[in-house]
Amino acid sequence: MWRQTIRRIFNTGWTNFKRNSYVTIGTTGVMTLVLLLFLGLLALNFISDTIIQSLNEKVDITVYFKTTAAEEEMISVQDDLKNFSAVKSVEYISRDQALEDFKVRHAGNALINESLAELEGNPLQASLNVKANNTSEYAAIANSLEGNKFRSSIDKINFYENEQVIGRIEKISNGLRNWGLVATLMLSVIAVLVTFNTIRLTIYNQKQEIEIMRLVGGSNHHISMPYLVEGALYGLFAGFLALIIFYPAVYSVSPKVARLMPGVDTFSYFKANAWQFIIIIFGAGTILGMVSSLVAIRRFLKI
Amino acid sequence: MIEIKNVSTVYDGDVEILDSINLEIKDGEFVSIVGPAGAGKSTLLKLLTREIRPKVGDVLVDGVNLFDITAREVPLLRRKIGTVFQDFKLLTSKNAFENVAFALEVVGATKEEIDNDVPKVLSIVGLSEKINSFPHQLSGGEKQRLAIARALIHRPRIILADEPTGNLDLVNSYDVLKLLMKINELGTTVIMVTHNRDLVNTVGRRVVTMEKGKIVRDQVEQGKYII
Repeated sequence: MWRQTIRRIFNTGWTNFKRNSYVTIGTTGVMTLVLLLFLGLLALNFISDTIIQSLNEKVDITVYFKTTAAEEEMISVQDDLKNFSAVKSVEYISRDQALEDFKVRHAGNALINESLAELEGNPLQASLNVKANNTSEYAAIANSLEGNKFRSSIDKINFYENEQVIGRIEKISNGLRNWGLVATLMLSVIAVLVTFNTIRLTIYNQKQEIEIMRLVGGSNHHISMPYLVEGALYGLFAGFLALIIFYPAVYSVSPKVARLMPGVDTFSYFKANAWQFIIIIFGAGTILGMVSSLVAIRRFLKI
Repeated sequence: MIEIKNVSTVYDGDVEILDSINLEIKDGEFVSIVGPAGAGKSTLLKLLTREIRPKVGDVLVDGVNLFDITAREVPLLRRKIGTVFQDFKLLTSKNAFENVAFALEVVGATKEEIDNDVPKVLSIVGLSEKINSFPHQLSGGEKQRLAIARALIHRPRIILADEPTGNLDLVNSYDVLKLLMKINELGTTVIMVTHNRDLVNTVGRRVVTMEKGKIVRDQVEQGKYII
């Protein structure tokens, strides 16, 4: 019997969805816009996260050793840093490697090459390139180096010169993240309210029908369930429309975004996580539609 | 048996609509409730479907006080009573078949029962050809016949008809009346509210006359609408 009831509820909801074409188009259209807005926010969040990440990656500390420093001491300092929890990675660049890298960087510069040839020996220092897990942890890393047993072998820790820049980058990153979150939340709330009101108006137009169903003896669940199905259908169709609009749009816009912000490949991100986004959008649309219908219809079901 | 015992109702807190109404209606009766506009006729019917509550008094159907039942039981009550309204109250988004079928769906009838019974009832009211038509595609008379079909489909013991011919021409009015009388002959109690004197006098059954919220006359047999 319950199977029959469920089948009836779905059939009624589907029939209502099909028959009220103007209402269906209007409501589905509004929900599609809402879901597109949501996807747009996801894209913006991705772009800002990528920017934040690339900014963070540009930040590091370089520890320059004195030319007289023994290799074992430098390796010991490297090991100490590797064991420090705030450190993400430490790269040791020997004096020879530094010279090779220098020559490669300035391969086209005849003057520099001639000057190098004039010099006796290698003027460059060995160094450690240190990246932290978090930009806020560079100060702690610099402090730990100050206290290292081989501090006397260290010539320069360039954190102090870059401290201000690092601080500014950290502020920008946090600002982007926080404001991004606030904007996302605010726009999501607005989107939910718009959807809710649209569906509420749709059901308000059905007020007389609902009243008649109550007079004929329809119980609350008998009357309300098909509207929940209808709300879910609005959400599902809106989700489908939103995705078929969004993905081609991102595909065409992504190269332009990459030209402005190198390293930001928006389409690849959405392609790689396609299944997750499909589930999220269909899920969000369905839940939004059903909850809006449920809240809207409750006020008409007071006996 | 329907018993209305000493019922008074008010509107907006202090406007009295019904004043100490006492009325007993036996099973299988055909009762016309007549009176001028504002007499309280429709309000009397609304008590029986529990659309309104009395300020004082009791309304009993087969010994059960309608206002002792819970809100959850109200739909069950309404399924036992067929209602026909002046403005038809059809579901505009459903066709004729679906309008009638809805009344069966709410009582949990199977698809087979619905497919079997609905065409039969539509045939009884003369709407076999209009089974897939929507209310906006029907004439006034057809709409009212559809409403009667919906009221009949789950074989209710009581049919309440509130000005069923109010929006109909003479011919359709008599068609509707004939249907109601036919239903009554099968044992259903019919309570018809109307201000159509000719119809009432045609029926020739019990006539309860109301004025200003009171019952002023109750002609149990061969009743006439006397102005």
